[in-house]
Amino acid sequence: MNLKQLRLGLWVLVGLVAAGLVVFLWQESKTEQPAFSQTSLGTIGGPFNLTASSGKPFSSAELNGKPAAVFFGFTHCPDVCPTTLARLTKLRRDLGKGNDALSIVFISVDPERDTPAEVDTYMKLYDTPVIGLTGTPAQIEQVKKQFGIFSRKVEQPGGGYSVDHTATVILLDRNGQFSSTIAMEEGNDVALAKLRRITA
Amino acid sequence: MKRMLFIPSLALLAACGQGGKANIEVSDAWARPTRGDAPGAVYVTIENKGGQDDRLVSVMTDHAAMAMVHQTEMSNGVARMRMAGEINVPAGNSIKMVPGGTHIMLEGLRTPLHTGDSFPLVLKFRESGEEKVSVRVAEAGEQ
Ligand SMILES: [Cu+2]
Repeated sequence: MNLKQLRLGLWVLVGLVAAGLVVFLWQESKTEQPAFSQTSLGTIGGPFNLTASSGKPFSSAELNGKPAAVFFGFTHCPDVCPTTLARLTKLRRDLGKGNDALSIVFISVDPERDTPAEVDTYMKLYDTPVIGLTGTPAQIEQVKKQFGIFSRKVEQPGGGYSVDHTATVILLDRNGQFSSTIAMEEGNDVALAKLRRITA
Repeated sequence: MKRMLFIPSLALLAACGQGGKANIEVSDAWARPTRGDAPGAVYVTIENKGGQDDRLVSVMTDHAAMAMVHQTEMSNGVARMRMAGEINVPAGNSIKMVPGGTHIMLEGLRTPLHTGDSFPLVLKFRESGEEKVSVRVAEAGEQ
Protein backbone atom coordinates (compact mmCIF):
# COMPACT_ATOMS: atom_id res chain seq x y z
CA MET A 1 0.00 0.00 0.00
CA ASN A 2 1.43 3.38 -0.86
CA LEU A 3 1.00 6.62 1.01
CA LYS A 4 -1.65 8.04 -1.27
CA GLN A 5 -3.82 4.93 -0.94
CA LEU A 6 -3.30 5.02 2.80
CA ARG A 7 -4.29 8.66 2.88
CA LEU A 8 -7.36 7.96 0.72
CA GLY A 9 -8.36 5.14 3.03
CA LEU A 10 -7.97 7.44 5.98
CA TRP A 11 -10.14 10.08 4.39
CA VAL A 12 -12.86 7.53 3.72
CA LEU A 13 -12.65 6.61 7.40
CA VAL A 14 -12.87 10.25 8.35
CA GLY A 15 -15.95 10.62 6.17
CA LEU A 16 -17.67 7.65 7.79
CA VAL A 17 -16.99 8.95 11.25
CA ALA A 18 -18.27 12.37 10.28
CA ALA A 19 -21.50 10.90 8.97
CA GLY A 20 -22.16 8.65 11.93
CA LEU A 21 -20.90 10.42 15.02
CA VAL A 22 -21.30 13.69 16.85
CA VAL A 23 -19.43 16.81 15.75
CA PHE A 24 -16.99 16.50 18.61
CA LEU A 25 -15.71 13.09 17.51
CA TRP A 26 -15.60 14.21 13.89
CA GLN A 27 -13.33 17.12 14.73
CA GLU A 28 -11.04 14.90 16.73
CA SER A 29 -10.53 12.41 13.88
CA LYS A 30 -9.92 15.28 11.50
CA THR A 31 -7.13 16.78 13.56
CA GLU A 32 -5.60 13.32 13.89
CA GLN A 33 -5.24 12.80 10.14
CA PRO A 34 -2.42 15.23 9.31
CA ALA A 35 -0.54 14.18 12.44
CA PHE A 36 -0.59 10.59 11.20
CA SER A 37 0.75 11.32 7.74
CA GLN A 38 3.55 13.32 9.27
CA THR A 39 4.59 10.40 11.42
CA SER A 40 4.48 8.03 8.47
CA LEU A 41 6.57 10.38 6.32
CA GLY A 42 9.08 10.60 9.13
CA THR A 43 9.44 6.84 9.21
CA ILE A 44 10.04 6.34 5.47
CA GLY A 45 13.25 4.38 5.06
CA GLY A 46 15.09 2.97 8.02
CA PRO A 47 17.76 0.28 8.20
CA PHE A 48 17.61 -2.61 5.73
CA ASN A 49 19.66 -5.58 4.57
CA LEU A 50 19.83 -6.58 0.91
CA THR A 51 22.33 -8.07 -1.55
CA ALA A 52 24.73 -5.93 -3.58
CA SER A 53 25.24 -6.53 -7.30
CA SER A 54 28.58 -8.12 -6.34
CA GLY A 55 26.58 -10.83 -4.54
CA LYS A 56 27.79 -9.65 -1.13
CA PRO A 57 25.36 -8.70 1.65
CA PHE A 58 24.56 -5.00 1.70
CA SER A 59 23.57 -3.11 4.81
CA SER A 60 21.90 0.31 4.56
CA ALA A 61 24.59 1.52 6.98
CA GLU A 62 26.92 1.54 3.94
CA LEU A 63 24.87 4.43 2.56
CA ASN A 64 25.35 6.59 5.62
CA GLY A 65 27.59 9.60 5.43
CA LYS A 66 26.35 10.36 1.93
CA PRO A 67 22.94 11.56 0.70
CA ALA A 68 21.15 9.08 -1.53
CA ALA A 69 18.52 9.02 -4.28
CA VAL A 70 16.71 5.68 -3.99
CA PHE A 71 14.72 4.28 -6.89
CA PHE A 72 12.76 1.02 -7.04
CA GLY A 73 12.45 -0.78 -10.37
CA PHE A 74 13.33 -3.93 -12.28
CA THR A 75 15.98 -4.70 -14.87
CA HIS A 76 13.46 -5.93 -17.48
CA CYS A 77 11.82 -2.51 -17.41
CA PRO A 78 12.45 -0.84 -20.80
CA ASP A 79 10.96 2.62 -20.32
CA VAL A 80 10.43 4.09 -16.86
CA CYS A 81 13.43 2.54 -15.08
CA PRO A 82 16.18 3.44 -17.55
CA THR A 83 14.55 6.84 -17.99
CA THR A 84 14.64 7.52 -14.27
CA LEU A 85 18.20 6.25 -13.88
CA ALA A 86 19.31 8.32 -16.87
CA ARG A 87 17.60 11.31 -15.32
CA LEU A 88 19.24 10.79 -11.93
CA THR A 89 22.71 10.43 -13.44
CA LYS A 90 22.12 13.63 -15.41
CA LEU A 91 20.85 15.48 -12.32
CA ARG A 92 23.91 14.36 -10.40
CA ARG A 93 26.09 15.69 -13.23
CA ASP A 94 24.14 18.97 -13.26
CA LEU A 95 24.61 19.23 -9.51
CA GLY A 96 28.30 19.60 -10.27
CA LYS A 97 29.55 18.17 -6.98
CA GLY A 98 30.98 14.95 -8.35
CA ASN A 99 29.77 11.35 -8.09
CA ASP A 100 30.75 11.18 -4.41
CA ALA A 101 28.24 13.85 -3.43
CA LEU A 102 25.22 11.63 -4.01
CA SER A 103 24.62 7.88 -4.13
CA ILE A 104 22.17 6.69 -6.75
CA VAL A 105 20.57 3.50 -5.46
CA PHE A 106 18.46 1.08 -7.51
CA ILE A 107 16.46 -1.53 -5.56
CA SER A 108 14.81 -4.35 -7.52
CA VAL A 109 11.11 -5.05 -7.06
CA ASP A 110 11.57 -8.20 -9.17
CA PRO A 111 13.79 -10.43 -7.00
CA GLU A 112 12.63 -13.48 -8.98
CA ARG A 113 14.45 -12.44 -12.14
CA ASP A 114 16.89 -9.89 -10.75
CA THR A 115 19.80 -11.91 -9.46
CA PRO A 116 22.83 -9.90 -8.30
CA ALA A 117 24.54 -10.73 -11.63
CA GLU A 118 21.51 -9.48 -13.56
CA VAL A 119 21.49 -6.24 -11.57
CA ASP A 120 25.23 -5.90 -12.09
CA THR A 121 25.03 -5.95 -15.90
CA TYR A 122 22.14 -3.47 -15.73
CA MET A 123 24.12 -1.00 -13.62
CA LYS A 124 27.11 -1.33 -15.93
CA LEU A 125 25.06 0.12 -18.79
CA TYR A 126 25.62 3.48 -17.10
CA ASP A 127 28.96 5.20 -17.37
CA THR A 128 28.64 6.47 -13.80
CA PRO A 129 28.41 4.59 -10.47
CA VAL A 130 24.95 3.34 -9.51
CA ILE A 131 24.43 1.06 -6.52
CA GLY A 132 22.22 -1.86 -7.59
CA LEU A 133 20.53 -3.94 -4.91
CA THR A 134 18.37 -7.03 -4.85
CA GLY A 135 17.46 -9.61 -2.23
CA THR A 136 15.18 -12.45 -1.26
CA PRO A 137 11.47 -11.85 -1.93
CA ALA A 138 10.98 -11.45 1.84
CA GLN A 139 13.76 -8.85 2.10
CA ILE A 140 12.38 -6.91 -0.86
CA GLU A 141 8.85 -6.97 0.61
CA GLN A 142 10.25 -5.59 3.85
CA VAL A 143 12.16 -2.75 2.18
CA LYS A 144 9.16 -1.89 -0.01
CA LYS A 145 7.07 -1.60 3.12
CA GLN A 146 9.63 0.64 4.80
CA PHE A 147 9.74 2.98 1.81
CA GLY A 148 6.00 2.89 1.03
CA ILE A 149 6.59 1.31 -2.38
CA PHE A 150 3.85 -0.46 -4.34
CA SER A 151 4.63 -3.13 -6.94
CA ARG A 152 2.65 -5.79 -8.71
CA LYS A 153 3.46 -8.34 -11.40
CA VAL A 154 1.43 -8.05 -14.60
CA GLU A 155 1.35 -10.84 -17.18
CA GLN A 156 2.27 -9.67 -20.69
CA PRO A 157 0.60 -10.84 -23.88
CA GLY A 158 2.98 -13.32 -25.48
CA GLY A 159 4.39 -14.53 -22.17
CA GLY A 160 6.62 -12.97 -19.59
CA TYR A 161 5.59 -10.28 -17.19
CA SER A 162 6.07 -6.64 -16.43
CA VAL A 163 5.93 -5.02 -13.01
CA ASP A 164 3.77 -2.03 -12.12
CA HIS A 165 5.65 -0.10 -9.49
CA THR A 166 6.03 3.19 -7.67
CA ALA A 167 8.37 5.29 -9.79
CA THR A 168 8.88 8.07 -7.28
CA VAL A 169 12.49 8.64 -6.23
CA ILE A 170 13.09 8.85 -2.49
CA LEU A 171 15.77 11.22 -1.24
CA LEU A 172 17.64 10.42 1.95
CA ASP A 173 19.99 12.80 3.72
CA ARG A 174 23.49 11.76 4.75
CA ASN A 175 22.15 10.20 7.95
CA GLY A 176 19.76 8.00 6.00
CA GLN A 177 16.79 10.12 7.08
CA PHE A 178 13.94 10.75 4.64
CA SER A 179 14.19 14.22 3.10
CA SER A 180 11.83 14.45 0.12
CA THR A 181 10.76 12.76 -3.09
CA ILE A 182 11.20 13.36 -6.81
CA ALA A 183 8.12 12.43 -8.82
CA MET A 184 8.26 11.30 -12.44
CA GLU A 185 6.27 14.36 -13.56
CA GLU A 186 8.32 16.85 -11.56
CA GLY A 187 10.48 19.35 -13.43
CA ASN A 188 14.25 19.05 -13.36
CA ASP A 189 14.69 22.45 -11.71
CA VAL A 190 12.58 21.40 -8.72
CA ALA A 191 14.39 18.06 -8.58
CA LEU A 192 17.75 19.80 -8.68
CA ALA A 193 16.74 22.13 -5.84
CA LYS A 194 15.83 19.11 -3.72
CA LEU A 195 19.16 17.46 -4.49
CA ARG A 196 21.00 20.68 -3.60
CA ARG A 197 19.29 20.67 -0.23
CA ILE A 198 20.42 17.17 0.73
CA THR A 199 23.92 17.64 -0.67
CA ALA A 200 24.46 21.06 0.92
CA MET B 1 8.56 14.93 -18.01
CA LYS B 2 5.99 15.26 -20.73
CA ARG B 3 4.28 12.12 -21.94
CA MET B 4 3.85 12.96 -25.54
CA LEU B 5 4.10 16.14 -27.44
CA PHE B 6 1.53 17.02 -30.00
CA ILE B 7 3.14 19.69 -32.06
CA PRO B 8 0.74 21.52 -34.32
CA SER B 9 2.73 21.87 -37.43
CA LEU B 10 3.04 24.56 -39.99
CA ALA B 11 3.02 21.70 -42.45
CA LEU B 12 -0.75 21.96 -42.32
CA LEU B 13 -0.53 24.86 -44.74
CA ALA B 14 1.54 22.88 -47.18
CA ALA B 15 -0.79 19.93 -46.74
CA CYS B 16 -3.79 21.88 -48.01
CA GLY B 17 -2.22 22.02 -51.41
CA GLN B 18 -1.61 18.28 -51.45
CA GLY B 19 -5.11 17.15 -52.19
CA GLY B 20 -5.97 15.65 -48.80
CA LYS B 21 -3.82 12.55 -48.67
CA ALA B 22 -1.94 11.44 -45.57
CA ASN B 23 1.78 11.94 -45.89
CA ILE B 24 3.70 10.30 -43.08
CA GLU B 25 7.32 10.90 -42.23
CA VAL B 26 9.03 8.94 -39.45
CA SER B 27 12.25 10.29 -38.01
CA ASP B 28 14.57 10.42 -35.00
CA ALA B 29 14.09 6.77 -34.01
CA TRP B 30 16.20 5.80 -31.03
CA ALA B 31 16.42 3.23 -28.25
CA ARG B 32 18.43 2.73 -25.11
CA PRO B 33 20.86 -0.20 -24.84
CA THR B 34 19.60 -3.47 -23.33
CA ARG B 35 21.25 -6.59 -21.96
CA GLY B 36 20.38 -10.24 -21.60
CA ASP B 37 16.81 -11.08 -22.59
CA ALA B 38 15.38 -7.77 -21.39
CA PRO B 39 12.98 -5.95 -23.72
CA GLY B 40 13.83 -2.63 -25.35
CA ALA B 41 11.88 0.57 -25.96
CA VAL B 42 12.03 2.59 -29.18
CA TYR B 43 11.01 6.24 -29.41
CA VAL B 44 10.15 7.81 -32.78
CA THR B 45 8.78 11.05 -34.16
CA ILE B 46 5.88 10.71 -36.58
CA GLU B 47 4.87 13.62 -38.72
CA ASN B 48 1.77 13.73 -40.86
CA LYS B 49 2.47 16.34 -43.53
CA GLY B 50 -0.63 15.41 -45.49
CA GLY B 51 -4.19 16.64 -45.43
CA GLN B 52 -5.76 13.42 -44.16
CA ASP B 53 -5.66 11.81 -40.70
CA ASP B 54 -3.71 8.61 -40.38
CA ARG B 55 -3.21 5.89 -37.76
CA LEU B 56 -0.21 3.85 -36.72
CA VAL B 57 -1.60 0.31 -36.71
CA SER B 58 1.43 -1.91 -36.15
CA VAL B 59 5.19 -2.09 -35.95
CA MET B 60 7.47 -4.80 -37.33
CA THR B 61 11.15 -5.57 -37.06
CA ASP B 62 13.35 -8.54 -37.82
CA HIS B 63 15.35 -7.67 -34.77
CA ALA B 64 12.72 -8.80 -32.24
CA ALA B 65 10.07 -11.49 -31.89
CA MET B 66 7.44 -8.87 -31.15
CA ALA B 67 7.06 -5.12 -31.50
CA MET B 68 4.09 -3.34 -29.99
CA VAL B 69 3.04 0.15 -29.14
CA HIS B 70 2.95 0.67 -25.40
CA GLN B 71 1.89 3.44 -23.13
CA THR B 72 3.35 4.12 -19.70
CA GLU B 73 0.70 5.57 -17.43
CA MET B 74 1.37 7.22 -14.10
CA SER B 75 -1.20 7.23 -11.34
CA ASN B 76 -0.49 7.89 -7.68
CA GLY B 77 3.22 7.70 -8.44
CA VAL B 78 2.83 4.17 -9.80
CA ALA B 79 4.05 3.50 -13.35
CA ARG B 80 2.01 1.04 -15.41
CA MET B 81 2.86 -0.12 -18.91
CA ARG B 82 -0.01 -1.14 -21.19
CA MET B 83 -0.73 -1.82 -24.86
CA ALA B 84 -1.61 1.46 -26.52
CA GLY B 85 -3.74 0.31 -29.45
CA GLU B 86 -3.65 2.36 -32.65
CA ILE B 87 -2.04 5.78 -32.51
CA ASN B 88 -3.91 8.57 -34.22
CA VAL B 89 -1.79 10.98 -36.26
CA PRO B 90 -4.08 13.82 -37.36
CA ALA B 91 -3.37 15.68 -40.59
CA GLY B 92 -0.76 18.38 -40.11
CA ASN B 93 0.30 17.09 -36.70
CA SER B 94 3.32 15.33 -35.37
CA ILE B 95 3.78 12.98 -32.47
CA LYS B 96 7.07 12.76 -30.66
CA MET B 97 7.42 9.72 -28.43
CA VAL B 98 9.44 10.54 -25.35
CA PRO B 99 10.59 8.32 -22.45
CA GLY B 100 7.95 7.75 -19.80
CA GLY B 101 5.04 7.81 -22.27
CA THR B 102 4.24 6.13 -25.56
CA HIS B 103 6.97 3.84 -26.84
CA ILE B 104 7.46 0.89 -29.15
CA MET B 105 8.28 -2.08 -26.99
CA LEU B 106 10.54 -4.78 -28.44
CA GLU B 107 10.13 -8.21 -26.85
CA GLY B 108 12.38 -11.14 -27.62
CA LEU B 109 15.27 -9.17 -29.08
CA ARG B 110 17.45 -11.27 -31.37
CA THR B 111 20.53 -9.74 -29.77
CA PRO B 112 20.74 -7.11 -27.04
CA LEU B 113 20.87 -3.50 -28.23
CA HIS B 114 24.34 -2.00 -28.00
CA THR B 115 25.13 1.69 -28.00
CA GLY B 116 26.17 2.78 -31.47
CA ASP B 117 24.26 0.01 -33.26
CA SER B 118 21.32 0.62 -35.52
CA PHE B 119 18.59 -1.63 -36.88
CA PRO B 120 15.60 -1.23 -39.21
CA LEU B 121 12.01 -0.86 -38.00
CA VAL B 122 8.87 -0.77 -40.11
CA LEU B 123 5.84 1.22 -39.00
CA LYS B 124 2.57 0.39 -40.69
CA PHE B 125 -0.02 3.14 -41.15
CA ARG B 126 -3.65 2.68 -42.13
CA GLU B 127 -3.53 5.19 -44.99
CA SER B 128 0.13 5.62 -45.86
CA GLY B 129 1.18 1.99 -45.61
CA GLU B 130 4.65 1.00 -44.48
CA GLU B 131 7.33 3.45 -43.43
CA LYS B 132 10.83 2.19 -42.79
CA VAL B 133 13.13 3.86 -40.29
CA SER B 134 16.57 3.13 -38.86
CA VAL B 135 16.70 2.97 -35.06
CA ARG B 136 19.82 4.38 -33.42
CA VAL B 137 20.88 2.77 -30.13
CA ALA B 138 21.89 5.65 -27.87
CA GLU B 139 23.84 5.81 -24.60
CA ALA B 140 22.08 4.44 -21.52
CA GLY B 141 22.13 7.93 -20.04
CA GLU B 142 20.38 9.58 -23.00
CA GLN B 143 17.37 11.62 -21.95
CU1 LIG C 1 6.65 -1.17 -22.82
